[in-house]
Amino acid sequence: MDRQVDVVVVGGGSTGCGVVRDLARRGLDAVLVEKGNLTHGTTGRMHGLLHSGGRYAVSDQKSAEECIEENRVLRDIAAHCVEETGGMFVKRPEDSEEYFQEKLEGCKACNIPAEVIDGEEARRREPYLARDVEKAIALPDGAIDPFRLCVSNAADAREHGARIETHAPVTDVLVEDGEVVGVEIEHETGPGKRVHREPGTTEEIRARHVVNATGAWAGNVGEMAGVDVEVRPSKGVMTVMNTRQVDTVINRCRPKGDADIIVPHETACILGTTDEEVDDPEDYPEEDWEVDLMIETLSELVPALEDARTLRSFWGVRPLYEPPGTGTEDPTDITRDYFLLDHGDRDDLPGMTTIVGGKLTTYRMMAESISDHVCETLGHEATCDTAEAPLPGSEDPARMEELMDEFGLRSPVARRSGQRLGSRADDVLDEYNPNPIVCNCESVTRAEVQDAVDDAGSDLNAVRLRTRASMGNCQGGFCTHRIASELAEEYPEPVVRDAEDELYQERWKGQRHALWGEQLSQAMLNHLLHATTMNRDGDPANLDGEVDFGAFDAGADAPGADGSGGDTGTAAADGGRASDDAATDGGRASDDAATDGGR
Amino acid sequence: MTRHTDDDGDAGESNEATESSDGGYEGPTPGVPESGRDEQPSVFVPDEGEAAETDATAGDRAATDGGVESASAGADSTELDPDAYDPVDVFPGGDLDLREGADSCYKCTSCDTSCPVAEVDDEFPGPKFQGPEQWRLKRKDDHDIDESITSCSNCMRCDDACPSGVPLSQMHNEARGQFVERQMEKLSVEYIRNRVLANYRTSASLASMFPRTASFAMNFGPARWAMEKVMGIPKERDFPEFATETFREWWKARGGAQVENPDKRVAYFHGCYSNYNTPEVGKALVSVYEHFGYEVMVPPQKCSGTPMFANGMLKDARRHAETNVENLVEAIADGADVIASCTSCSLSLRQEYPELFDLHGIDDVAEHTFEALEYLRIHEDLEEALDEAGGLDDERAFAYHAPCHARNQGLSRQAVETFRDVDGVKMEDVGDSCSGISGTYGWKEEKYEKSMEIGAEMFEHMEDAEGEVGMTECPTCAMQMEHGTGYEIEHPLQLLEDALGA
Repeated sequence: MDRQVDVVVVGGGSTGCGVVRDLARRGLDAVLVEKGNLTHGTTGRMHGLLHSGGRYAVSDQKSAEECIEENRVLRDIAAHCVEETGGMFVKRPEDSEEYFQEKLEGCKACNIPAEVIDGEEARRREPYLARDVEKAIALPDGAIDPFRLCVSNAADAREHGARIETHAPVTDVLVEDGEVVGVEIEHETGPGKRVHREPGTTEEIRARHVVNATGAWAGNVGEMAGVDVEVRPSKGVMTVMNTRQVDTVINRCRPKGDADIIVPHETACILGTTDEEVDDPEDYPEEDWEVDLMIETLSELVPALEDARTLRSFWGVRPLYEPPGTGTEDPTDITRDYFLLDHGDRDDLPGMTTIVGGKLTTYRMMAESISDHVCETLGHEATCDTAEAPLPGSEDPARMEELMDEFGLRSPVARRSGQRLGSRADDVLDEYNPNPIVCNCESVTRAEVQDAVDDAGSDLNAVRLRTRASMGNCQGGFCTHRIASELAEEYPEPVVRDAEDELYQERWKGQRHALWGEQLSQAMLNHLLHATTMNRDGDPANLDGEVDFGAFDAGADAPGADGSGGDTGTAAADGGRASDDAATDGGRASDDAATDGGR
Repeated sequence: MTRHTDDDGDAGESNEATESSDGGYEGPTPGVPESGRDEQPSVFVPDEGEAAETDATAGDRAATDGGVESASAGADSTELDPDAYDPVDVFPGGDLDLREGADSCYKCTSCDTSCPVAEVDDEFPGPKFQGPEQWRLKRKDDHDIDESITSCSNCMRCDDACPSGVPLSQMHNEARGQFVERQMEKLSVEYIRNRVLANYRTSASLASMFPRTASFAMNFGPARWAMEKVMGIPKERDFPEFATETFREWWKARGGAQVENPDKRVAYFHGCYSNYNTPEVGKALVSVYEHFGYEVMVPPQKCSGTPMFANGMLKDARRHAETNVENLVEAIADGADVIASCTSCSLSLRQEYPELFDLHGIDDVAEHTFEALEYLRIHEDLEEALDEAGGLDDERAFAYHAPCHARNQGLSRQAVETFRDVDGVKMEDVGDSCSGISGTYGWKEEKYEKSMEIGAEMFEHMEDAEGEVGMTECPTCAMQMEHGTGYEIEHPLQLLEDALGA
């Protein structure tokens, strides 16, 4: 382990993935390490809004200007991750007219194209809007898939020589002679692709510079290096609806408040959010009243939400930061701007830079600025091209008719495959014939699942976030086993079972916050299918040891009869009880059992 | 009461329209404003070429579910509920947004396992895909519908199978309508053939001008060969014979209703088949109802729309629905309930009309519509009447098939239950399989074999049953039963007429 790389980037969220892509394209030898899956932390737990900047046009105009600039860039370079939905700030009778005008002027000041439409026009565009919505400001908000975005950035980085290590938490920051010289990581299942049941290893990666892009976790990494990074993590809840009630982003036009945005996301809508400071980004309460608040409050904008089906809810933590001594009381007032902390200047500890704050929409800009800084520190001369170079998949739009004809896909399947894969669609779909659908709710075919497996090993949550398989209304009830069986050719049966259990548990986790009405029926049906039809809550095949079949034949009195068939392993179909087993990052609170994003 | 007996509505239509606008809903009525979930624009506006045929005010007319008062005096109309969650036109061009219907689906697959087409057609992905899955995947700018929707026969068994109230057939009908409207080549043989099949009433009314010639010509060997080659209509099928006197001609000739009774009125929706092909069913209905002292009205009417829904011809269906609803609303205002002798007609008026169209009074029509035997079973003591009548003189045995569309109205056992205690009648239910013809489905060359494969179970059970006469409420099921077994097929009303000595 004596080889030294140029840069280690810690954190596989949007910022880290953007930084490693940028550095790799500039010709530096870079390694990205992430403790879970890509997007595991905050990136996978946001509502998927591609900001036009409108939300910050009054309170934070610098952020607003950056947003609209990057909004335009991403439509171009990340076309297959972006849906150009458009957005509206809608005003209800009780919302302030003065603020509406401020918002409008703010948009103009920040060069955000904004148009005022009356209530009737707003409802013509979005018929489910409440009838007392008076008027709205229409602007170019959009929807972005953070998973695809990060995966594409990482894929591009890898193409340019970078190394990406997921499930590799940093266990120590190496400091020698008052200088950061690398990190020690623990590969949970060995380096490279994650494969369940492979033994863990540790590795020291020595680097000329370390970038701490761990967002809300930046303080933890800072601590390992012996410096203070004062992130103020703030949690927010997001609720996923089963279908789209709106096809444009709906914001409420008022100064600030909880539950003021609905974002159409892929096949669903995501309601958001709250803003409440927490002490620990990994341990905070997830409370049902927060979900109720989302639905109740946003029903004022779109009454149909009240009775519509909710699939799940998830919480994310913002990596808010403010320079020491600012002392803002309310987290909603903390700036959304990003900060680059050079620990050489700041703490007299050269070799490490931390980036905190910011938001997904401006991830590329943040990555550019930190890459500039790293290159300057390392004396490396190269220019940034990430604003022009399309991400893999966004080179050209997918050609839907051809997908249907060439690959014999039914139209919605071809359409969704094309929307997800972009220009990669041809290559990916060409691999398998026949190519059956594996996940019906989201129309994901075997070819797409196998493509993800090639990339992600036996980690089905990583497959999920690449393909959306199991993210539809059955939440994996009808497809986790089918997805898992796609692993069977390459991996041994116990690995497949572990992978299946892990995905199933993750799907259960978010549904716990949606157990009423239709999703309760769904969860019960899923439970019966998995626990009884498939016998997954007591399947002898899940036991590590030999099954003593004789005990069954000889009856209860036979020696060895008790307990030999009772250990259910990790497959508890009722998830809640067993969710600790499923946690990939072991030892966390059961609430955090998910390996990544909640959708 | 002898109103509405002039003809079946073609000639009298404009008069009727004028008359009804005198009835209180004329003028720039609120109807269908631009937006709002309960005040939607008309869903399928007839295109310009066809506008002349419809009532000029139809497009502006109030929708009952838009909160205007009920069309029928004193009847309950659906109150305006601001929280009601009706489909609105999210999609351009007035298409319904049925994505919300996917909320009810928990993927249990009961619909797929009960779909007779999926069972025999490996290319057909089944109702779950066609309905909730395909709808859920839609975005606002998506217009394409998968072509496989045209393989759905519209038997609607999926509606019956669904434990969770997913509006499957509505999703299928709307998707099929969108597919046909946007994606189907209008000059293709398939489109033309389907349009002809869907508009059976037009063909039948022409044929009825020369019924004997038509019955011969339509089944003339070389002509059938040509029809298969050119139009894709399977030569194996026998076209139904046309009656030499239509039901309406008979009704007019007899001087209309023979019983007047303002307290017991029914408006008979005979549909096309009882009118042109089997007037004996309509006559039996009149005789049975008059036996029980009902005043029968026969309002002007057109096709119920069933074959049009099945072929995605929603504009045609809407045009016909406008006439039907308008005239039936008027009959309801006169105190009548609507009865139909064809279970697909009654299902159409009850379910598909309010699901797909937004016409003044359409909910009232749906609420007041019944199948003819169902209505008698609700309002009369049939059991006692049959008991008193003493049964049949000669023993007769029937092989009864319950049509899928009867099943959806909860009527699949009504014939068996009505006749099982009648002396001299042996009624055997041949099981719950689909006959396979599903209206026009079995009339398509490319579907003919699948249609017969679906029907095989029913044919077999009919052969096993003791009776040599088939019985069903549905005219196209009757065609299929006859085609598969050679049996003569009767309608329960005909047997009821005999058993009551009416």
